[in-house]
Amino acid sequence: MSRKMLNDGEVNQTNEDDAHYDFDLFVIGAGSGGVRASRFSANFGAKVGICELPFHPISSEVVGGVGGTCVIRGCVPKKILVYGASFGGEIEDARNYGWEVNEKVDFNWKKLLQKKTDEIVRLNGIYKRLLANAGVKLFEGEGKIVGPNEVEVIQLDGTKLSYSAKHILIATGSRAHRISIPGQELAITSDEALSLEEFPKHAVVLGGGYIAVEFASIWRGLGATVDLCFRKELPLRGFDDEMRAVVARNLEGRGVNLHPRTNLTKLEKTEDGKIKATTDHGEDLIADVVLFATGRVPNTKRLNLEAAGVELDEAGAVKVDEYSRTNIPSIWAVGDVTNRMNLTPVALMEGTFFANTVFNGKPSKPDYRDVPYAVFSIPPLSVVGLSEEQAIEQAHGDILVFTSTFNPMKNTVSGSRDSSVCSRPIR
Amino acid sequence: MASSLTSPKLTTTISSSPALQTLFFRKNLPLSFSNPFLSLPKTLTSVPNRYRRSLSHHHYSRGFVAAASADSDNGADLSRQYDFDLFTIGAGSGGVRASRFASNFGASVAICELPFSTISSETTGGVGGTCVLRGCVPKKLMVYASKYSHEFEESNGFGWKYDNEPTHDWSTLMANKNAELQRLTGIYKNILKNSGVTLIEGRGKIVDPHTVDVDGRRYSARHILISVGGRPFIPEIPGSQYVIDSDAALDLPSKPTKIAIVGGGYIALEFAGIFNGLKSDVHVFIRQKKVLRGFDEEIRDFVSEQMSVRGIEFHTEESPQAILKSADGSLSLKTSKGTVEGFSHIMFATGRRPNTRNLGLEEVGVKLNKNGAIEVDEYSRTSVPSIWAVGDVTDRLNLTPVALMEGGALAKTLFQNEPTKPVYRAVPSAVFCQPPIGQVGLTEEQAIQEYGDIDVFTANFRPLKATLSGLPDRVFMKLILSAKTQKVVGLHMCGEDSPEIVQGFAVAVKAGLTKADFDATVGVHPTASEEFVTMRTPTRKIRKDPSSEGKTDSETKAAAGV
Repeated sequence: MSRKMLNDGEVNQTNEDDAHYDFDLFVIGAGSGGVRASRFSANFGAKVGICELPFHPISSEVVGGVGGTCVIRGCVPKKILVYGASFGGEIEDARNYGWEVNEKVDFNWKKLLQKKTDEIVRLNGIYKRLLANAGVKLFEGEGKIVGPNEVEVIQLDGTKLSYSAKHILIATGSRAHRISIPGQELAITSDEALSLEEFPKHAVVLGGGYIAVEFASIWRGLGATVDLCFRKELPLRGFDDEMRAVVARNLEGRGVNLHPRTNLTKLEKTEDGKIKATTDHGEDLIADVVLFATGRVPNTKRLNLEAAGVELDEAGAVKVDEYSRTNIPSIWAVGDVTNRMNLTPVALMEGTFFANTVFNGKPSKPDYRDVPYAVFSIPPLSVVGLSEEQAIEQAHGDILVFTSTFNPMKNTVSGSRDSSVCSRPIR
Repeated sequence: MASSLTSPKLTTTISSSPALQTLFFRKNLPLSFSNPFLSLPKTLTSVPNRYRRSLSHHHYSRGFVAAASADSDNGADLSRQYDFDLFTIGAGSGGVRASRFASNFGASVAICELPFSTISSETTGGVGGTCVLRGCVPKKLMVYASKYSHEFEESNGFGWKYDNEPTHDWSTLMANKNAELQRLTGIYKNILKNSGVTLIEGRGKIVDPHTVDVDGRRYSARHILISVGGRPFIPEIPGSQYVIDSDAALDLPSKPTKIAIVGGGYIALEFAGIFNGLKSDVHVFIRQKKVLRGFDEEIRDFVSEQMSVRGIEFHTEESPQAILKSADGSLSLKTSKGTVEGFSHIMFATGRRPNTRNLGLEEVGVKLNKNGAIEVDEYSRTSVPSIWAVGDVTDRLNLTPVALMEGGALAKTLFQNEPTKPVYRAVPSAVFCQPPIGQVGLTEEQAIQEYGDIDVFTANFRPLKATLSGLPDRVFMKLILSAKTQKVVGLHMCGEDSPEIVQGFAVAVKAGLTKADFDATVGVHPTASEEFVTMRTPTRKIRKDPSSEGKTDSETKAAAGV
């Protein structure tokens, strides 16, 4: 039962009290950040317990699954759908390269969804094995904080398990946010979008962020009519303006109907079972599916954080310092629940650095500079470093910008109208 | 490199640059060539001496300032008037780059090129050169065309289904490919025109160190640049008249049903992938045990495994001896191991040789090596001081971006008073077989030679796409570090998108970044390339002195393997 504990630094000093903790570390949430922190901490000799809600592709207050958002209802299934959708454009292009393909190629949505589900179930199993192989004890149930060194896991049958832990790590991630307009219950979020029974022939997507753009691309790539409504002039607020314009142009080129400076005011069910979405320009859009891709909020409501006095910010995210420590010395948090950079590799970095800090005697702060990332629109966008606007703001001198806009070679024969743009602001 | 100049006035010799510089600073040195290393007055270097003759079929689109008066110290020859500052023979990647840039630096430049044809010969070529007309570009278009069959297969796993299996119409591809080549050759002509370079169609031949003959018309130039590239080489064996080369393979009237490709280099593999993707029956015959000699051993193994799985049949350790044509028109290939019959086409991808015949090189004293390549120093200067050479004709690193680098460096050397040597360290390259290869830096074998102690990290995995498509596609990625400095000295990948991915990482390898720099770089998820920044445990450590750390050489080799 007892494991060797590392004895460096003030963070993890051994004293007689330690012997009575059930765990050196208890992690609430087995997603990217939580699993990484658990495994690496266990590898450094810590005794680690982790709890996670039971598996379900669509998350809620009471269901989730080992692997977390990324594996079950984020990065991975999204990428699978993007692959599936990309074939549509490729098949078109193939004709100009001499391929004779049927006028109308059939697409079996249910088959794609089933294979997607098979894959996320497989990965869910792999993540459980990763934890087991690292010697991390996995509990299924909802975790709550009871005190600075105490957690509670409410199992499926309702029984509560209590554990004491020298350190507690909150890694509960985030969930899709639904805007509250009349008829909002008719809308779906990305969770449902990744598990739709029927392929939507006509979809309305509300939102201008990467999730909205990705789903617009996916459904359009598979042949749906897509209306993308967003509040600003261009999608992807916060990205380089020039690149935002390119993405918008490419979306339009692929046939997505863009509605800039547009919000939805209400949703109503129609007689034939569709949804009527009314915009703030008075336009009515009739759709099979309306997707709210209107942001994600940290999962902190049911953690009982008040019991330990853990501070949240206005958005409901757990406040942490540069070492991912909350205002309570024994309680830490990594990943989307802290709302820093909501990307899996960043959660992995935060989890790794946490393990090094707390259990390897090497206090280290994650470095958020020059983190690369991508938006898997079709065609995709990838970014590292500052946008031109940020560079201008932050530069103490002038900046130089190099851009290259071209029709990639493949399109010269295929006739596709995508344009490729590379942009490089230099200080 | 000794000079063999015909001009009696020259007393200098071409040697390595420090000697060159010392030599040329002697002011009483008579010169018969323009010397970029001499400290000429600024006016002379920035405004090249030029004799403007109105040639009937050309006109200068730029107005140049008349030549400044020559410094009397610099010898009588700098006042000699030439038709051009630079005359380039061969309008391919290297030639066009050097010419354009030279012209932008203020030189008067002419370039000659053979008339356009998809098939190269002593009398045909075309502006754009091998890369644009019968290399990189058409090759890549054919690769794109041939990849779709694999994509159709992959798409089944993602829910796509086809009532009838897609079929390929060869003539559509050829027509579209040729239209693209015409468009590109036109663009290259415009590029030359817009830079003020005079384009002359015809076969250029050197008459003397400052004179070029193009189909009977003579032009004088201060400098001559030879950038005539290379051509496919087919050994003469019985029946070789039935063999096609890569030029012909890119422009066939119909798709091969069954094709034998002789050769194990990148050209052979790329065409194997192309024809296999377009549903030909493909057989590759190589003399060696493995394909891609000179590449990293693990990559060689991985790529042939992946290509075999896609249906390409490899015949190893077989040398071609004869080709026989049967009554029904099909071809048989007789090798050292036997005869394989029934081929509609036999292609030899057995190397390329520099195009140095009939250029007047021997007569003027330009030295060639035994392969027929022009010998040049680090500044691309030949054994004749006024004659230079870049690109495949010099057989250094036969890649378009390298020819561009050589051409650009030469333009700077000659016309910016900035002697510039092309740098060949960490040049990335790709093989567009299927799956493709990207690489930069050293192979494991080269790294062991150079560094002794190295750490090797490898990853061999099924990419996300394949878990759904159900196809046996895999990805192989490899990092090689100098154990002492932890610098990444070699980076290799074989799998979808490798060439695009390796281009980005080439910047890191060129910059001499370490494994720690790689590890500190956050990954982009989900991608295959993030694997390069998340390789945690070395696959093996090679140590010259077995006692210093880890395993002995034989143990490490035993542990090695994809």
